[in-house]
Amino acid sequence: MMCTQPITNTKEAKWQKVLYERQPFPDNYVDRRFLEELRKNIYARKYQYWAVVFESSVVVQQLCSVCVFVVIWWYMDEGLLAPHWLFGAGLASSLLGYVLFDFIDRGEGRKKSGRTRWADLKSALVFITFTYGFSPVLKTLTESVSTDTIYAMSVFMLLGHLIFFDYGANAAIVSSTLSLNMAIFASVCLASRLPRSLHAFIMVTFAIQIFALWPMLQKKLKACTPRSYVGVTLLFAFSAFGGLLSISAVGAILFALLLISISCLCPFYLIRLQLFKENIHGPWDEAEIKEDLSRFLS
Amino acid sequence: MACRRGGGHGQPTLATLSRVSPGSLSTCRTHTHNICMVSDFFYPNMGGVESHIYQLSQCLIERGHKVIIVTHAYGNRKGIRYLTKGLKVYYLPLKVMYNQSTATTLFHSLPLLRYIFVRERVTIIHSHSSFSAMAHDALFHAKTMGIQTVFTDHSLFGFADVSSVLTNKLLTVSLCDTNHIICVSYTSKENTVLRAALNPEIVSVIPNAVDPTDFTPDPFRRHDSVITIVVVSRLVYRKGTDLLSGIIPELCQKYQNLNFIIGGEGPKRIILEEVRERYQLHDRVRLLGALEHKDVRNVLVQGHIFLNTSLTEAFCMAIVEAASCGLQVVSTRVGGIPEVLPENLIILCEPSVKSLCEGLEKAIFQLNSGTLLTPENIHNIVKTFYTWRNVAERTEKVYDWVSMEAVLPMDKRLDRLISHCGPVTGYIFALLAVFDFVFLVFLRWMTPDSIIDVAVDATGPRGAWTHQCSHSEKGGENNEMSKTR
Repeated sequence: MMCTQPITNTKEAKWQKVLYERQPFPDNYVDRRFLEELRKNIYARKYQYWAVVFESSVVVQQLCSVCVFVVIWWYMDEGLLAPHWLFGAGLASSLLGYVLFDFIDRGEGRKKSGRTRWADLKSALVFITFTYGFSPVLKTLTESVSTDTIYAMSVFMLLGHLIFFDYGANAAIVSSTLSLNMAIFASVCLASRLPRSLHAFIMVTFAIQIFALWPMLQKKLKACTPRSYVGVTLLFAFSAFGGLLSISAVGAILFALLLISISCLCPFYLIRLQLFKENIHGPWDEAEIKEDLSRFLS
Repeated sequence: MACRRGGGHGQPTLATLSRVSPGSLSTCRTHTHNICMVSDFFYPNMGGVESHIYQLSQCLIERGHKVIIVTHAYGNRKGIRYLTKGLKVYYLPLKVMYNQSTATTLFHSLPLLRYIFVRERVTIIHSHSSFSAMAHDALFHAKTMGIQTVFTDHSLFGFADVSSVLTNKLLTVSLCDTNHIICVSYTSKENTVLRAALNPEIVSVIPNAVDPTDFTPDPFRRHDSVITIVVVSRLVYRKGTDLLSGIIPELCQKYQNLNFIIGGEGPKRIILEEVRERYQLHDRVRLLGALEHKDVRNVLVQGHIFLNTSLTEAFCMAIVEAASCGLQVVSTRVGGIPEVLPENLIILCEPSVKSLCEGLEKAIFQLNSGTLLTPENIHNIVKTFYTWRNVAERTEKVYDWVSMEAVLPMDKRLDRLISHCGPVTGYIFALLAVFDFVFLVFLRWMTPDSIIDVAVDATGPRGAWTHQCSHSEKGGENNEMSKTR
């Protein structure tokens, strides 16, 4: 390749992967051992289809939450659902969820966090009082904004809620605070289109229940009793589907297709695409420090 | 592209200077070249790339080539400066974006670089470091202008995260039509070949070097009543400072006569200070802070054992410098490090506190039992390994080979970009290459090559400096004078 080298004893000399010795090979010599330390996919994970389907239920749940929220809002807006009923149902399910929340892990989580029931009651009371007090303001806050803008904004906020929600992935985009804030903002927007300030108050309370409290209970259910979690997810999905069906058949079918593709097709593709994975490793990789070094400082 | 070789300066003339060590490898006829080194990193910035460029240039000048360096302006240091032996450095007024690397638009540097390449009658562009945007810009423009290109890669990259996927794609684009690539170790070559999807035949391995006369042992500077472990590195995560913070308390508790000297500065210094505070080791662990390059030797000779905890390293000059000072080296087995020193001079460990402590204990045991080589012996072995003259000789061969190659004409270059870099990136960069060419045509129309003054050569076969100073040799000091363009 380079100038014709006077290779005299190449036959006997064996190439070594060392730099400190002058070897009878040109500098661009490529040995048979070139890239012999290359490893592929050593840390690649093997996925099981049903395990992935089970994990995808988090996404399904969140889609259903958004769907249920919008359906309830629509019923309120049309005057088909009295606010008292929603408040009563919400209160009852919240109490039920509260009891369940402690019952599932037999109060271990509570012991660990050291939070008292009195503190829970206090924050619930503070929240309800403030929302109730401010509900007339919430009602009139965005009155001057056109209804179309409100709808568009709500759609974007709910989409943002779905995008930034903490599904358990360790990614930079995940931000549960931002996600929750976007959902609450959407609920405030939508609440302002409801007939009275009582409606607005109950809508925002419901948003907190379904977007803040319900995922916490879900997470605990998933960790402690996976079986019942699957049941709850199916039940929730069917109720969301039913609710949507009572409003629009086409919407309900599209929603069902979306859920099926997320929970069945996407895992299938994930596993198929694993075959094309080519993760390259070799001696050039940055070493990882595997031990816990903080013990030297504590 | 047409009138590039009209000046007569690129004509092959036999090297007149005597060769340092002819050896078996240098049988082909040597031409002198007009070489332009381009990198964002150069003096006054300090580091491995900077000293590599400087030393290589000096040795190439010694071998009769004309060498200039192009970098970006560092604060007040702008315009043209001359260094030792008439090495001309252009400090271009380009904006620095991040980490001393210039911002790139791919086009804004063309007018300046073209002007320099023409007035200096450059025949080979040699870019350094994949972190330097200016180096890639220069490669891109040089190919548009039909000048031969060489690239030296000084670092290793992973393949896992998004940022490395992007930089590797850019490297593929930048290197797919570069004539030759130089890597500093075999591991680095494997890495670069994979990252840029290259033909391994056009990648040469030429290691870095150290000046053995700068790193001589001095056994009287160290106290033999205690054992001193020296660490010289930037205190950052990639250099394994976290491992060091585990090793210090572990070994200091075990050996009462063990001291640490740590030279270097960085964000991880705080954890070393915390460890020192926590274990009350103020008299045994000395943190020296940032060291100037000339002080490194004086720190090294105070120790018995040199510890390197890097997590990734393409070549690792530090361990060669330490070995040249006669220290026993203990290092992590990462990147190109196993290739650098023979087994009897280095103890290789896994990158964990446990393994490194075992390695250090082995070194301490050998030291106490007197089975270690004496510093003078180690120095004498190491000083033959890596010299800049050898590096220059081997680099020169790359230049010879490259200068005989044809630069891809525009149509072939576009084909190469499209076929080699993937459908999307390939077309985008082919389009950019066309824009670059159109811009070049416009610049040639604005200021034709013929009216650009030819620069006075300081170095090279007709270098004013070489003729003046050939009888009155005075190297070693940096002679600087400013010159207006």
